[in-house]
Amino acid sequence: MNTRFSLVVAACLAASAAAQDLIAVKGGKVMTITGPTIDDGVVLIQNGRITKLGKSADVEIPWAAKVVDATGKVVMPTWVVAHSQGGQRGFNENMQNVPWLSVADAIDPAAVYFEDALRNGVGTIHVLPGNQTLLGGSGLVVRPAGRTVEDMAVSGNTGIKMSLFAAGGGRLQQIRKLRRALDDVREYLADFDRRKAEFEKEKAAGAIAADKTWTEEIDRTKKGACDLVQKKTKGWLFVPSVAEIDEALRLDKELDLQIVLGANIDDAVPQLAKFGKPVILDDTIEYFETDEETQKEKKVCTPKLLADAGVPFALTLGAGGPTSYPWWQLGTCVRNGVDRRMALEALTIVPARLLGMEAQIGSLAEGKLGNVQVLTGDPLQATTWVETVLLEGEVVYDRAKDPRLQYLFAEDVKKASDKKPTDKAPEKAAEKPAEKRGDAAGQGEPKAEVK
Amino acid sequence: MNARFVATLTLSAALASAAATAQERTTVFTGARILPAGRPAIENGVLVVAGGKIQAIGGSSLPRPDGATTVDCSGRTITPGLIDASFRGGADPADLNEQSDEVTPHLRVLDSLDPEDRSFERARAGGVTTVHVMPGTRNVIGGLGCVVKTWGTDPATMVLNAEASLRIVMGTEPSMGNRAIRGGSVDSMYYRRPTTRMGVVWEARKAFFDAKQEPETVPGQAPPAANPGREVLKRVLRGSLTAYTTARSEQDIRTALRIAAEFGYQTVIDDAQDAYLVADELAAAKVMVLLGAPSAPTVAGTAGADGSDPRFATVRILAERGIPFVVTTGSNLSALDLVREAMFAARNGLDPAKALDAVTILPARLLGIDQRTGSLDVGKDADFVVWSHDPLDPAAVAESVFIDGNSVLASR
Repeated sequence: MNTRFSLVVAACLAASAAAQDLIAVKGGKVMTITGPTIDDGVVLIQNGRITKLGKSADVEIPWAAKVVDATGKVVMPTWVVAHSQGGQRGFNENMQNVPWLSVADAIDPAAVYFEDALRNGVGTIHVLPGNQTLLGGSGLVVRPAGRTVEDMAVSGNTGIKMSLFAAGGGRLQQIRKLRRALDDVREYLADFDRRKAEFEKEKAAGAIAADKTWTEEIDRTKKGACDLVQKKTKGWLFVPSVAEIDEALRLDKELDLQIVLGANIDDAVPQLAKFGKPVILDDTIEYFETDEETQKEKKVCTPKLLADAGVPFALTLGAGGPTSYPWWQLGTCVRNGVDRRMALEALTIVPARLLGMEAQIGSLAEGKLGNVQVLTGDPLQATTWVETVLLEGEVVYDRAKDPRLQYLFAEDVKKASDKKPTDKAPEKAAEKPAEKRGDAAGQGEPKAEVK
Repeated sequence: MNARFVATLTLSAALASAAATAQERTTVFTGARILPAGRPAIENGVLVVAGGKIQAIGGSSLPRPDGATTVDCSGRTITPGLIDASFRGGADPADLNEQSDEVTPHLRVLDSLDPEDRSFERARAGGVTTVHVMPGTRNVIGGLGCVVKTWGTDPATMVLNAEASLRIVMGTEPSMGNRAIRGGSVDSMYYRRPTTRMGVVWEARKAFFDAKQEPETVPGQAPPAANPGREVLKRVLRGSLTAYTTARSEQDIRTALRIAAEFGYQTVIDDAQDAYLVADELAAAKVMVLLGAPSAPTVAGTAGADGSDPRFATVRILAERGIPFVVTTGSNLSALDLVREAMFAARNGLDPAKALDAVTILPARLLGIDQRTGSLDVGKDADFVVWSHDPLDPAAVAESVFIDGNSVLASR
């Protein structure tokens, strides 16, 4: 245990050293997303940021740079997921009105969800409380690499999760409860201000000693909600179906909201078109709907409807199943007639903008963070795999050293099950999953660790 | 019910006349990349269809008959209609598991089949033109499966084989939830056996043992009324009917092979998730394997049904060992369209051409319908799909689907 701990510390130190390094991703087809695609390009990353981007012939690679050879491969920014419940141990708190909670206390850095996100080329995830809530606590933007929540955290105070999902009650009740919760906060704030004003008044009148000052602070359990009603922080409102859309648009007039849509919102597209602001989609973006009159069913693809209506949207990824694969989500869009470029942007630059991080992530450009993935081929093909992931210029994933993939792809089965995952991790890249495998190694079959 | 039946008849009649005119014309599909299945791709190919059959297929130099209608398919890919060798659908799910007994070999799934079931429409939209439907998995021996096309002017023309298979199920599904009712007796009609894996195996073994004990039926004489199922089991024992044994974990696959060897019958292993662990035995027994939903296992959650341990490498291991397998959707509730399951097989390392074979010509051979469908060859039924992209591209859509030369997609 102690040995392992010191290994971990060593790895962390090594990691921070690596960030100082100069890295050149060379020879690949560079899909910048917001700019032109560069065949045979170079991405130069120094101190975690992209310092140079261009054709191989035009960019000189410094002799000291570590080179990642991407010849014949595709180089692009890592994916950005603007809304997720993944990677937490219990994301739906039983109490509904809990704006003081933070996902930082629920995030499990060892969750397979994060490991798998990295494997799929995801570099940034906005983790929020689950959809079965009212005012559900604040979210955190993380990178799916690191041993502690602190390691993973990219930015906090992203806002408060809100939901119109009718948990244990009717839809109207949920709306009423949410309105009531917001009114309570407003009343509290008004009362607080009134008492403070009275204090000042009495002080001015001499009833309170002149050296006394108002010391009471906003109740910590109400702080997040107060910020929300004062539009100092964002509300991430989950709208489960078309029936709640009117209420969501009304709430948007009073609060700074980001709307997250569930499935079954196709009938709300005209309203959303008038609304005009970008929306975030649930991972279910293609489904069948039955006409109540004719009993005929039709396939609905929400991104296609939104694209046709001119509503900007961000895609998200599921936890497990095909929707956890970015290529599947983008392929679903293209299959239903969404422009390929729009699909690519919906999992990169659009969510980056919604997180207010478009200057840092979501595309490849000089000055942005060195969050880069190298893929074996086109990002929209099923047979494409993520080869390497760099976050802030540090290699955090390398497919050749991915023990779980090696296990699932092992053709010599007997050998694979004998060979318990390595306890020594020779390279940083393999460190994280290797360590986890090591944890499970003593407990019997490798599959025992699968949740 | 009656009104609907009449409506169906009228509709069928209308379609039948439309189909008749469509079938008489000669239609030539040009410019597409043709993947005929079982042989190399034809670039810029020509496919000639008339009378519901494929009249000619070849490169761009193929002579075109006079007076034929030409359909330009440039930029498209044409494949045979896909065949799902284990299709969950075609009937109300509640109609697939007879609960009056655990061993019901004589029941025919065809009698539950609803030609208007929505699943047929979905299958057609996904380019699936022929399906093998089996009874559900709640009985140890569920009954007779059938092979039908997913579109037809009447059920009689849909059916390719009314009694194609006998479904046997190993593992935990036939015993799932079976308990003696509280305070009740095991003789109660509410008591359903078996309740354990060993009970499941015993039921299967007993059924075949009893069938073996029974004297042969005198030709021209009806089988004993009390045991209608035994005649079906005898057909399996004689080798004139193939058993499809659903067995997922290594343990269950070995059991399925053991029982088949004991009684000397041929079986196909359905949803053989652990097949890679039993590869040598499967190869030795010359057993064909149905792989259910390659999309199901993910890196994050690989635990399979019935304690199996699915791996991505399965398709490659089976391909390298020469164990014939087909890709199906029927064993997994969350299975995707058949073409997407083939795509996942390719993702897991199966050669794309083989992945396509695994949903066309191979299931056709398995089901004994390769004289009629499964590949694009002269004389076969004109069952084919025009895809917008390569069928294994996630962006691929079945733009047109033809069964017996009839365009079967309602409207897009």
